[in-house]
Amino acid sequence: MNPTQQDAPLLTVEGLSKTFGGIKAVQEIDFQVNRGEVFGLIGPNGAGKTTCFNLITGFYTPTTGRVTFQGHDITGQSPYRIARRGLVRSFQKTNVLKPLTVFENVLAGHYLSARQSLLATFFPTAPVRAAERDARDNAARLVTLLDLGARMDTPAYRLSCGELRLLEVAVALAARPTLLMLDEPAAGLNSQEAMRFGGILKRLRREQVPSIVIVEHNMSLVMDVSDRVMVMDFGRKLAEGKPAEVKSNPQVVEAYLGRARA
Amino acid sequence: MKFERNTLLVLGLIALAFPLLVGNQYLLHIGIMVLLYAVLATSLNLIVGYVGEFSLGHTAFLGLGAYTAALLSLRLGLPAWATIPLAGVVSALFGVVIGAITLRLRGPYFVIITLAFAEVLRLIANNWVDFTNGPMGLSGVAQPALLADASPLMAKRFYFYLALGLTAVSLYLAYRFVYSNNGRAAVTVRENRFVAQSVGIRPFVYAMRAFVLGAFLAGLAGGFYAHYITFVGANVFGFAFMVSMIIMVLIGGKGTLIGPLLGALLVTLLTEYLRELQELRLSLFGLIVMAVVLFLPNGLMGFLNHRRERNPSDAADGAARAQGGPA
Repeated sequence: MNPTQQDAPLLTVEGLSKTFGGIKAVQEIDFQVNRGEVFGLIGPNGAGKTTCFNLITGFYTPTTGRVTFQGHDITGQSPYRIARRGLVRSFQKTNVLKPLTVFENVLAGHYLSARQSLLATFFPTAPVRAAERDARDNAARLVTLLDLGARMDTPAYRLSCGELRLLEVAVALAARPTLLMLDEPAAGLNSQEAMRFGGILKRLRREQVPSIVIVEHNMSLVMDVSDRVMVMDFGRKLAEGKPAEVKSNPQVVEAYLGRARA
Repeated sequence: MKFERNTLLVLGLIALAFPLLVGNQYLLHIGIMVLLYAVLATSLNLIVGYVGEFSLGHTAFLGLGAYTAALLSLRLGLPAWATIPLAGVVSALFGVVIGAITLRLRGPYFVIITLAFAEVLRLIANNWVDFTNGPMGLSGVAQPALLADASPLMAKRFYFYLALGLTAVSLYLAYRFVYSNNGRAAVTVRENRFVAQSVGIRPFVYAMRAFVLGAFLAGLAGGFYAHYITFVGANVFGFAFMVSMIIMVLIGGKGTLIGPLLGALLVTLLTEYLRELQELRLSLFGLIVMAVVLFLPNGLMGFLNHRRERNPSDAADGAARAQGGPA
């Protein structure tokens, strides 16, 4: 990869809009995520953050606008194609494979690295077996990395809410993302669990995936882990900048707390 | 995985010894029917258990296989070692076509359209007299030349080992599929399409692969059936076969490899045992299925796995929560 590409933003979103009937869920959103950056996306309920996520990752088709990932236009591509390019997401509503164990869930996430032809499925060759072993080793490693080691062989439906959140992140990591997008990974966690989650995120950033986009309601968590933050309200971009700048932005304060009486 | 493999090997060894220990043609016939149904239940299980959709039209592939083998044998004089694999291939090709249409549908729509396909094929078999001989069916499908001067007992033994060979092939293919990246992808799609897509799986492809593999195995079973019974009529597309297959998969436990085998064994033996009760037999089966669905929603294997899983460690963990297991 040449240096100009190295410096180019990882993800570029330009003029992204989505309307559902007469409702403008997302309007003219622009932002960029650079390599090695944790980018926070915040805003009150119904601000369009998750819609934004769904537009970028192909679960919705944008009404207008363009999404570019690593120099490729991925606007409106199917989710599985976008995932294959290295942009992997988690979900706001807990989405795991419930009857499967923690290990099996993470192993399933290794789909791309263990892909094989049908012939190799029925008559496995040495490389196929090796890829299979690697996937198993890596799955066990990821489970341990996310502090789920003790729950390795527990079916997912028996996990607590906090553990499910971690499992979701592990499954997303299993797909070896270049950019990981987390949709409210700390929803439903108490403040202590959220702090622990923040610690794990920082570790992931060092060891697994340098670039992360995170949608989150827990302010202290977002402000703690993010390098830059974008604030949305009513489908529009309200502010963007370093966490400290955004916190003191009067428009942001208004969106969250309401206008001060004159 | 290890548990399933070892159990399968032990069952295979028992089956290998069975014809040598048993000299009774009737018992051998029952054994052959158990093996035939084991292949059919395994193939249906790939769809019900791994695609996660309920097919009521699986007899389409059994029937296509049976008619393919019978026609190839009667019209072209091909031997059984060629017609049975070709029966599988023809069924698999139809599986691609039928799957391409039905796998876009979910739930009841999938059930209805698969049933419609089987019914359409049955009507064609009954009415296209020039090709299929209509309601008279195709009789006199050739037995393998090897059996020309064999005694009836030796013939039964031969068919038993042929059926055992087919069962072994089916289980090998199913085992490889289920415990590979393909099988995991299919289970991921079955459990959660959103997760599947977000880790790069194209859902349709894996539903399709499981569906076509199921069609192929059912076609093999159909080809074997044609040569063993030596007669093929439109009833191979009928609902009676479908009901048997469903009961086997449900009682044994869908989504496991041993479950359908267990189901095939139990249901075939029970059918024979209850033969004197005639019509009452079907009512009894109805009651058994209701009881299984109500009390053992994951079949016998689901029940056994559940026991194995709970005994070693967290027995204190609420039993109520465990009920909300695999759908």
